[in-house]
Amino acid sequence: MKGGGVLVTGATTPFGRALVASLLGRADVPAVLAVASERVWPGSAHPRLLYVPADLTRSRDLRDLLFGPARDLGVRAIAHSAHHRSVRAAGERVHALNVEATREILRLAERHPTIRRLVYVGAAEIYRVDAGLPALIGEEHPIEMSPGMPQRLRDRVEADLTVCTRMGLSSLSIAVLRLSEILAPESGSQLDDYLASRVCFRPVGYDPMLDVISIADAVRATERALASDAQGVFNVPGADVLPLSAAIERAGRVAVPVPGPLLRPLYAARAAVRGTEFSWSLNRWRFRWSGVLDGARAAALLDYRPEAPIWRDAIRQDPENARKTGDGRGGAHPTRHHLSSDT
Amino acid sequence: MGLGAQAARIVARTLLPKGEQARLERLAYQDAGHGWDRLGLRPQAVAASLAATRFLYDAWFRVESRGAEHVPREGPAILAANHSGMLPLDGMMLWTDVLRHTDPPRVPRIVADAFVPRLPFVYTLFSRNGVIGGARATAERLLHDGELLGVFPEGVPGIAKPFSERYRLRPFRVGHAELAIRHRAPIVPVAIVGAEEQWPELARVESFHLFGAPYLPIPATPFPLPVRYHLRYGAAIDPRERFAPAQADDPAITRALAAEVRATVQALVDEGLRERKGIFR
Repeated sequence: MKGGGVLVTGATTPFGRALVASLLGRADVPAVLAVASERVWPGSAHPRLLYVPADLTRSRDLRDLLFGPARDLGVRAIAHSAHHRSVRAAGERVHALNVEATREILRLAERHPTIRRLVYVGAAEIYRVDAGLPALIGEEHPIEMSPGMPQRLRDRVEADLTVCTRMGLSSLSIAVLRLSEILAPESGSQLDDYLASRVCFRPVGYDPMLDVISIADAVRATERALASDAQGVFNVPGADVLPLSAAIERAGRVAVPVPGPLLRPLYAARAAVRGTEFSWSLNRWRFRWSGVLDGARAAALLDYRPEAPIWRDAIRQDPENARKTGDGRGGAHPTRHHLSSDT
Repeated sequence: MGLGAQAARIVARTLLPKGEQARLERLAYQDAGHGWDRLGLRPQAVAASLAATRFLYDAWFRVESRGAEHVPREGPAILAANHSGMLPLDGMMLWTDVLRHTDPPRVPRIVADAFVPRLPFVYTLFSRNGVIGGARATAERLLHDGELLGVFPEGVPGIAKPFSERYRLRPFRVGHAELAIRHRAPIVPVAIVGAEEQWPELARVESFHLFGAPYLPIPATPFPLPVRYHLRYGAAIDPRERFAPAQADDPAITRALAAEVRATVQALVDEGLRERKGIFR
């Protein structure tokens, strides 16, 4: 990690906590500065951990954070993962955290005395999925810019591109990670919410390939990006690549194929009645056509390869797929869709 | 296991000889983790489809194949074939023929026209058998991974040409030539004789564009005719010996290579036409 401390924003999410724990386990990280909006650090204390509650939407808080504790701890790298997870969150304050905070962190970090590296932890959901586009998504893949998309997606696109515009022009070394969907509770996972229902409606006639990533792999990729000086955009795929129908089956749910036009009202009604997160407008294309991340660049430059499948236990038990070529992983029936590898 | 997977297993076990089942066990594919490759190819589906096409291949079209030894056993390669027949049964027969004549068996990743991935049910079935949508980036990635592509460089104009112009190849697109040069992949020319007469077209609805289809063909018969298919594989045209990868950007070079491939396929077609004893023999 080049001997400096690491600042982690969004530190109280499941991913953030796992990243902080992993960084604390490394001898080459002298200090971890964890930042989130919660008043109290939800994990256990550690002599090399400093938790600072901060409102990243306030420029003054950010300045105090970076030129206070971050400078005192000699923070060298930032892992910026703070953004609203709810698809229903909307408005100026949400935009301020998702986009303006990112812009401000960039601006302040560029003139910071110790910070040299920024890793923006973004999401692959910003990519456009369409039948006419490659099913294997490289970093040059078109971005989803449809105005009808929820604010969460539009904000993520803006924040991602905001960081990208500074690459090569900034004094910082910048990496943008575009992670597959982290399939875990409280991680903003649309698929996790979708699979929480006993019955999962899916478009009849379509069974696209999906990929999802475990928190363990997301943390590993972020750590490698923090330790590297490689600049650029990196797709970060997970170890689980499987059709939607298989994901439903492995989650122990019942798939009910439904004509596409019925899905929007069905899931709108579900969200209205049960307050759930799954948004059909956000998922309508990827539930029809495949969109799987190509992680070749992350493999070549960050030496990242997914290792922790979410459905690991189920895979081990499946004799049908045990003989397969490649890395030998297969798949079968799990009892739950978010299992132990996430922690 | 889902109903589809169970049905696939039953079909394969019932219709495929034991030896063929054992051979398919050695089918090479890049498992992305759960028994599918990243684009959806599923070995169990390949076995079931191979079983399901036996009747068409052996009994209905009585495919006669020659020169399959030109298909490389491994590494990136491109099969470039003529295209005809109202519906792409020629692609199905080529897919079956390559699987049957390669050892270990290779699944040709047939590149479908851009509208095909929009077709519900059809594309799900196709993708489980290795068919890919016609996006360049996907084809490039597969060649990079050492896979075998199957392309019809005439595209839809090949399959849509009138009966009076049968076996007169349409101009070849140049994408396959560019891919071959850039990824140092040999091109195996393939002639498919028989498909032009397989299914006479009565009419077509030009205004039909559901799911992006170019038109809706109206067949003259409810089933394809039991014409005899003749597949001819030519010696590979190897761009590695003649071009550097950077020359893939030179339009003159790619056009010339595509024209060379077209001329070779046309010659193989003409040879097949001369040698066959009739449409049904």
